[in-house]
Amino acid sequence: MESLHPRIRLVWIAQWILTAAVIGVVIAAVDQWLVTIPTPAIVGIVAFALLAGVAYAILLYGRWHFELEEDALYLERGVITFVETAVPFVRVQHVDTQFGPLERALGLSSVVVYTAGSRNADVRVPGLTPDRARALQDTLRELAVESEADDAV
Amino acid sequence: MVISLRTGVIGLSLPFFFVGILSGVFDLIDITWSVTLAPVGLVLGVAYGIAYYYRFGYALTDDTVDVGSGVFSRRAREIPYRRIQNVDVRQSVFHRLFDLATVSIETAGGGATEAQLNFVSEPEARRLQQEIRRRTRAVKTRRQAGTPPSSSRARSEATDQGTTRSPTPDADAVAASTETEPVDGERDPSRREFDPERAETDDQPERADESMVGPQQPLEGESTLEDAETGLGTETELEPDPFEEDSPSLLFDLQAKELLLYSLTTIRAAAFAGLLALVFFFTDQAIAILLATAEPFGGPEDLTTGTSTSYLVLGIVSAVNAVIVTYLVSVTYTFATYYDFRLGRAAEDFVYERGLLQRYSGSIPSEKVQSVTITDNPVQRAIGYAGMWVETAGYGPDSGSGSTSAVPLAEDRRVHRFAENLTGVETPKFDSPPSLARRRYLARYSIVATGLLVAAYVFSTLVGVQYWYLAALAYLAVPPAAHLRYVNLGYYVGRDHLVIRRGFWKRRTTIIPYYRIQTISNRRSIFQRRLGLTSVVVDTASSQTFLWTTPTVYDLNLEDGRQVARVSRRRLQDALAERRRDDESGPSFSVDFT
Repeated sequence: MESLHPRIRLVWIAQWILTAAVIGVVIAAVDQWLVTIPTPAIVGIVAFALLAGVAYAILLYGRWHFELEEDALYLERGVITFVETAVPFVRVQHVDTQFGPLERALGLSSVVVYTAGSRNADVRVPGLTPDRARALQDTLRELAVESEADDAV
Repeated sequence: MVISLRTGVIGLSLPFFFVGILSGVFDLIDITWSVTLAPVGLVLGVAYGIAYYYRFGYALTDDTVDVGSGVFSRRAREIPYRRIQNVDVRQSVFHRLFDLATVSIETAGGGATEAQLNFVSEPEARRLQQEIRRRTRAVKTRRQAGTPPSSSRARSEATDQGTTRSPTPDADAVAASTETEPVDGERDPSRREFDPERAETDDQPERADESMVGPQQPLEGESTLEDAETGLGTETELEPDPFEEDSPSLLFDLQAKELLLYSLTTIRAAAFAGLLALVFFFTDQAIAILLATAEPFGGPEDLTTGTSTSYLVLGIVSAVNAVIVTYLVSVTYTFATYYDFRLGRAAEDFVYERGLLQRYSGSIPSEKVQSVTITDNPVQRAIGYAGMWVETAGYGPDSGSGSTSAVPLAEDRRVHRFAENLTGVETPKFDSPPSLARRRYLARYSIVATGLLVAAYVFSTLVGVQYWYLAALAYLAVPPAAHLRYVNLGYYVGRDHLVIRRGFWKRRTTIIPYYRIQTISNRRSIFQRRLGLTSVVVDTASSQTFLWTTPTVYDLNLEDGRQVARVSRRRLQDALAERRRDDESGPSFSVDFT
């Protein structure tokens, strides 16, 4: 089983910092215009969001694994709800590599695997080095072509 | 040309609408302007309609359906036949007045209909539907060309012809059974040996008396959909081409009794929404009606002068009123929608039509069927009836979802047999989740009941109503609720299919061929992890709606859940391998859904 790149924790933590900042601004705005909220409460909420976010990021990293199995891409992840998903190669419609601004700054990429399904239709593997992402994309594409079938749609 | 009539009417009404709104916002604009603007709108609308008509074109080529449209911005669209999920023909009352129809072509992609041909003449719509079906088949045959057509294929085609054209209207059981022979022979022999029981029931002569017959046996002798239609007195004479093996054979015909039962036992959320909209627009009238009905029972004379008791009476009577009216609306709606429902089979496609005022007719290629679901609610279960839906990846006419009613309602025995014939699944022997799951629902519903109690308490302190603790009665419902949820859960890991049953109010039994699985997941929430349970989510390409969630086997033991996922994956690969083998050995594999 392959783990994600450790730096993905930084991406997630940074995302949480941003979220916490937005929460802080919203609460501050409420405090300013609607109801007065004691400053310690604001600080407390933001701090809690931050701490929870950091803990979540670290836990999630520990639980994120994926593997190319014989017939399918297998992934498991999740802190609150733990999900084990198998995406059979035949069902792969196309594969993307993507990176957002944060990932880009930290030199990471994601691979997104699309299926024709309705739920979990696109499966994202985050936290890969650009090389690994491209390699995974190529492998998945080859495997998808190799196991080509009538596309069941 | 009728389109210009419609756009003309729209053009006529738009000024009223906009001026009406704008005059409310700006003092400068007077409501009387709409009278002068209306003729302008009418002319512009008619002109747009005419332009639309001349700028709209469609063509059926060998490989694609081409549609060009647009007055101001042009769009040319080509849809390959093999991507088409289904073709629907819709006729509203307005359409029927002018003998027109709307043809919609659905593909799996996107969230909307791929191509819509408004206002084609009814015979043309039928021709398009048939022609698209025929060409889709031709493309398929061409794709498989190069390998000699196997004998079974030829036989199946011969059967189709035989079924649709033999001119014995009062076919007795003997004739029917001889006719089914070749089809049965074509069937996968291994499937046969898997369910000897069904093989027996197939040959029971009493089946011929039943109104719903197995898919191979046309109902009431050889009546075809077309025959039935001309019998209805529709003016369009559509002679089935004698060289075309396309006239559908009837599979299911909704009887008057079934239609009534279906209407009476189905509650539609849409009815409630429609009623709400009506009340929103006619608030005063609605209140007057509610007051009038409540008065004999001690309701207030109007909304301002009343005692708390009379208000209570008004509340209760209005609630009862709302329930009754919603129910009646729902019954009427269902009745009108499914009036004269018929399902047939034309070669590899299912065709259906229904509707009292608005006619629908659709066709679904059998190989595009993703899964089949049997639904029933407690009332239907009590009287021994059930319905059947087929799910495709396209967006059908039923509220934009991919599921289409194949059998609105019939005796459950027949529905189950029909579903088994359709998918080829053996009669499922359901496994239950561990009884730990029931404990989980007990806990879950207790939390809900507690929530209710707290809400009632908060409400009572805010409003000053006593008896908030009566909400504790909700706890009484917890054990039966948990039990009912639990006993209705079931799953069956079949040879070629996974069967999942869940739900009490709207119980759904979904039959998913392993071949259709897109992804398969085991999901475990914190609570489930503590109990060692897992939910297996089986995703197919059938488009999902709010009401139809992804098929899920709830709360299995972790090891069982993983086993289900493993087996499903392996059998998906097996099914793929089997298909590949069949492809190499010629096009003998026709998706045999019936």
